[in-house]
Amino acid sequence: MKRSRHVGLVLMGASPLLLTACAPENSTEEGLYTSVEACVAQTGDETSCRQAHDQAQLEFSQSGPRYATREECIAVHGAEQCQQVGQQHGGSIFMPLLAGYVMGRMLSGGNVAGLRSAPAFRDRNGGWQRPAAAAGGVYRQGAIGQRAMAPIQMAPNQAPTVTRGGFGNQDRRRSSGS
Amino acid sequence: MRRIELEERPDWRRRAEESGFVFHSIGGERYWDETHCYAFTLAQIENDLEAPTEQLHDMALDLVGDIVGDEQALRRLDVPEPFWDWIAQSWRDREPHLYGRMDLAYDGTGPAKLLELNYDTPTSLFEAAFFQWQWLDDLQRRGVLPMGADQFNSVYESLVEAFGTIATQLKRPLYFAAVRDSVEDQGTIDYLRDCAMQAGIDCSAIALEDIGITGDGRYTDLDDQAIGTLCKLYPLEDLFREPFGRHLPTAGMQLLEPPWKAVLSNKGILPLLWQRHPGHPNLLPAQFDDGYAPTQPGWVIKPLHSREGANVRLHLPDGRSERVDGPYNGPGIRQAYQPLARFGEDHVVLGSWVVGDRACGLGLRADRSVITRDSARFVPHVILPDAAGVLEA
Repeated sequence: MKRSRHVGLVLMGASPLLLTACAPENSTEEGLYTSVEACVAQTGDETSCRQAHDQAQLEFSQSGPRYATREECIAVHGAEQCQQVGQQHGGSIFMPLLAGYVMGRMLSGGNVAGLRSAPAFRDRNGGWQRPAAAAGGVYRQGAIGQRAMAPIQMAPNQAPTVTRGGFGNQDRRRSSGS
Repeated sequence: MRRIELEERPDWRRRAEESGFVFHSIGGERYWDETHCYAFTLAQIENDLEAPTEQLHDMALDLVGDIVGDEQALRRLDVPEPFWDWIAQSWRDREPHLYGRMDLAYDGTGPAKLLELNYDTPTSLFEAAFFQWQWLDDLQRRGVLPMGADQFNSVYESLVEAFGTIATQLKRPLYFAAVRDSVEDQGTIDYLRDCAMQAGIDCSAIALEDIGITGDGRYTDLDDQAIGTLCKLYPLEDLFREPFGRHLPTAGMQLLEPPWKAVLSNKGILPLLWQRHPGHPNLLPAQFDDGYAPTQPGWVIKPLHSREGANVRLHLPDGRSERVDGPYNGPGIRQAYQPLARFGEDHVVLGSWVVGDRACGLGLRADRSVITRDSARFVPHVILPDAAGVLEA
């Protein structure tokens, strides 16, 4: 959807709170999976599972967490979760393993009306985390700085959790820096 | 892009007034015009408008650092020298910006062409962000437009998100200000304040004329308290030139839009963009113009500082010319003439909104005149799949 999900006024107008919601509401479901197979087993939607997996892998390779040393990586993700990655121009950095992915499907009348995904990593306590929705999403990303991580509350490879209200912040496209 | 004739909602004037959109008609003539709308395909929106808008925005921001450090460029842009350091510092500090609108010429085919950047005091914000959205929602509820119809318009969400993002970088107290007697400007500034409040920001309103100044050069509110940030709907270049503005570089008051926007809300950015990116498909050839050379057919002369089409002179390729009188003079630029989309007697210009750095919406203005003026009507738009033939039944 290319328009605001709702528009609201708190100050202008006759009524103190005029909030207009965009009908109809859609439901969104979300799940955490450690493989495409596990995703298909839970949702039966192989097309979406593959697509979400590929998107998450792409996001991981383009903007996954990067650490200068193995120690820094281990401090965040735990000992078994860090890998050395060679750089194009020599040298190497450390990244966590892509341990899973989150798939969100927006369902409208039984059809998939929208799909989003995010790479998922282990944290040092054995929990799960994903890149946080960019707080400054409406602004260009700074050239430096690590993207914040947000914990994932779902257990992996379970039936997807249903929420209502359609897509939120995660759906926003990052601006195209030049 | 196609035009769809519609019956207007019988209660649209009441709907407008309910939401504080009191300038829906100007001098008895409709300003908001829903007797028709324009329909785009999703591909037209995403490929021809949204992506080029973000690219043009990035290109413009990439020029700011060079311009604010270049005395010759600042002189060409007619920025007064006492403000140079202050403007450059505001860029080095990356003082936050909020929004802008670029005007594009586009008729559904070929690349959209940048006519100008309105990056300091863009208006038609409320009607684009709110009332246009509500119009589509109403027409969907009434079954006139299909539920699958959409609109390129996340301006509201983007504004609230932007305010939320920059909230900690705005000095308090935060005031929103416009000229007291301009109904349109007051409506626009109220809408900005409304969005700021929805982002949880505590803020107030003041008329520009009521801002005071203390003996030691601080700008103050009606209680003689210093203003932390002024979100103003008033041209930066006018603030620079009015005697009251000479304390700006030292007063410690933050501005939104920030001082560095002065180099973008200036027609001189058009030749500078063309110099940096000659032949770019979304740019029109442009040069600085001292006003002495005879104007050639196929060029448009625009003063550096001009709003709502005032003092624009247009020399059509066939030798005819058009002009709009107004208060602006001084140095200017010439830009290659690019016809606007033409539907019947209307010439339509596309206003493409940028909030933060995100291209997030569209507002169309239609005028009988070749030069879009302040009287141009606002016409809503919709995104429809290619073959939505039902609408024309």
